[in-house]
Amino acid sequence: MAAEPYDVIIVGSGAGGGMSAYHLTKSGMKVLMLEAGRDYDPRIETPMFNTNAEAPLRGVSTPDKPFGFYDATVDGGWEVPNEPYTVAEGSEPFIWWRPRMLGGRTNHWGRIALRFGPLDFKPRERDGLGHDWPITYDDLAPWYDKTEKLVGVTGAYPPQNLTNTPDSPPGCLLQPAPPRAFEMFYARAFKAMNIPVIPMHGAVVTSAMEGRNTCLFATPCGRGCAIGANFQSTTVLLPPAMATKNLTITTNALVYQVDLDAAGKAKGVSYVDRKTGEHHSVTARAVVLAAGSGETARILLNSKSSKFPNGLCNTHGMVGRYLMDSVGLNVTGQFPHMEGLPPTNDDGNGVEHTYVPWWGYDKHKALGFPRGYHIEIGGGRQMPSMGMGGLLHDDDASVGDELRGRLRQRYGSTISFNGRGEMIPNDDCYCELDPTTKDKWGIPVLRFHWKWGDSETGQASHMVKTFLEVIDRLGGKPMGKVETDGRKAISKGGEMIHEIGTARMGHDETDSVVNQYGQSWAVSNLFVMDGAVMVSSPDKNPTLSIIALAWRSADNLATLAKQGAI
Amino acid sequence: MSGSPETPEPYVSKIDRRTALAWVGVVGAAIAGGAGVVVYGPKMGGDTVTRGYGTDPKLTKPEKAPWSRIMTHGQLQTAAILADYILPANATAPSASSLGVPDFIDEWVSAPYPDQVKDRPVIMNGLNALSVKVLKTGAADRATALAALPASQDEATHAFWKRFRRLTIGAYYTTEAGFKDVGYIGNVQRTSDPGPSDEVKAHLEQAFQKLGL
Repeated sequence: MAAEPYDVIIVGSGAGGGMSAYHLTKSGMKVLMLEAGRDYDPRIETPMFNTNAEAPLRGVSTPDKPFGFYDATVDGGWEVPNEPYTVAEGSEPFIWWRPRMLGGRTNHWGRIALRFGPLDFKPRERDGLGHDWPITYDDLAPWYDKTEKLVGVTGAYPPQNLTNTPDSPPGCLLQPAPPRAFEMFYARAFKAMNIPVIPMHGAVVTSAMEGRNTCLFATPCGRGCAIGANFQSTTVLLPPAMATKNLTITTNALVYQVDLDAAGKAKGVSYVDRKTGEHHSVTARAVVLAAGSGETARILLNSKSSKFPNGLCNTHGMVGRYLMDSVGLNVTGQFPHMEGLPPTNDDGNGVEHTYVPWWGYDKHKALGFPRGYHIEIGGGRQMPSMGMGGLLHDDDASVGDELRGRLRQRYGSTISFNGRGEMIPNDDCYCELDPTTKDKWGIPVLRFHWKWGDSETGQASHMVKTFLEVIDRLGGKPMGKVETDGRKAISKGGEMIHEIGTARMGHDETDSVVNQYGQSWAVSNLFVMDGAVMVSSPDKNPTLSIIALAWRSADNLATLAKQGAI
Repeated sequence: MSGSPETPEPYVSKIDRRTALAWVGVVGAAIAGGAGVVVYGPKMGGDTVTRGYGTDPKLTKPEKAPWSRIMTHGQLQTAAILADYILPANATAPSASSLGVPDFIDEWVSAPYPDQVKDRPVIMNGLNALSVKVLKTGAADRATALAALPASQDEATHAFWKRFRRLTIGAYYTTEAGFKDVGYIGNVQRTSDPGPSDEVKAHLEQAFQKLGL
């Protein structure tokens, strides 16, 4: 535990905050981490091996636990008690997933850990759409290498040399688990369509890794992992940071403001204790915001002063702008050819063993939409849930041995195809402070504005078309009503929980909030180290990139501190 | 109810003693009946609890859902008869009632969440209507009443049948006995994932041949 005076205050303990704390404490800096949620220890709180029968309502999702009873999320979900947000009138729907726990969303995330590719950093250069990052893939590549080696990422494979789908250098990735039956099954259809299927990169330790436990090949990762075999900030980043004795963590500390000194530098932050309602101010030589793109923007916008009447770093109206998410969509099929398979253990390593990277980089003109998507595919003989009855035809009325037989026959014969696609930032997607709504402690809340562009809805239509073709080639039938119009089938804004880009990095203060190291243009000792800094929202899930960027930025911060530059 | 051949054995709630004691604390007076089981009826005293389990429930050892149960003795008995019509015991698998499915139905319809509140009148009214036909009636009448449910032209009865059957299937197959019956062999610690067996691969190869893939 570090004592005052602190060198750095880090707001948030998830992917960005955890990584910053890991590196800064190991660099010898005294760090105070402020987390809005409660303390949380996956080693003793994870329901490993629990069955649904042990949970209330057999574990189904409820408003209290929207991703199911056993989901790791604490005190959160699409709504957080006492902490509302609003969506502007006339906006398309936007929903915002927040937990209130140490480690943030790294405790329950999907653990898909794909690198962004070279094209993802220079989208405007490529086709004139979106905006370019101030860095290239090569700038971040060494940090991806380090990140994969620290996080523990499965998916080693001979180099594929696929467009914009980086192969990690040897030694970065762990040996993957073999494809399961349903994965072998769907791969054949994609192969017939000349679409590659390759090992998924998942943040789970699947083969021997020094200092880490190996996966038990059982019990879902979304519950967390008591043995730390998958990546959570709370098992991989915070314990080593604590071991340096340079880290103090204060929980239930909801930061709402960055405090400035007379010279205009950050002197610390103010927070409200969520349990007592008391307000506190703490000081340090530098401040790192890693509260998640929404909260980070909210803190900046709520930090008003005479110099920054519209919010800190917001002189050019860039805070809250360029809010992005991933395009998401699902079609599930049922496959007679997968029926009656001999019992097989499909629990796997908690992340898909294989996936389909985007294959159409050279076809966008013909396709009619500019950006692509990858496909995450689930299936197999998963632990039975309350959804078991849904395996049967809607008009099935069998009982007794006939019912038992039909369920045995169809169990494990469904496969779910999930598209995750790139979104191009647009002027209609942003967040700002709501002029009237405040949280329990009187702090103004965010108001979201959302509108998918034609690029995204066109892509969504293509997802449906692709999935239906794959299902057909495999002799299956889609389950339920399938909406083929991408404008209607597309996910809600925020629903993929990949919201990023509200304090983006750029070339100068007129086009961005921070520089390529997350250092704000307006306040030299204020940094942003979460997804807010992202300039584009490629199809690849953002967490691995948030960690790699945070590590690179934290390293720069440590260097600046050593130079006496902050 | 008597134990005559024409009358099913009365349903006895399948809850353990620890849970039963916890319930006494929650709902007031439950009627203790024998070692480790509790028979409870409609006259449980105490305050009605309608809250959910909250946004931070204990996950490793989940506590019994806190809300009061609302099904009557007659509804519970009817639920047992219908659940066992859907999934009776056979040579290798137990009956739905022996796995406590009626208690689960009670937990479900008593819950304060929107999906369950929506199901509540569907299930409760359906059980009330069915109870007249299956409680205190002869075996033949009971069998006729149960067999008539799937084909019922009455909208409410049909909705009740479909929903009750779905809930019964879900409740049954989420248990260890259900895992065994359907062939789920996971949720066990392993040192590696060996992938599909040769038998499974052979099955897939046959499928690929038929599909021309």
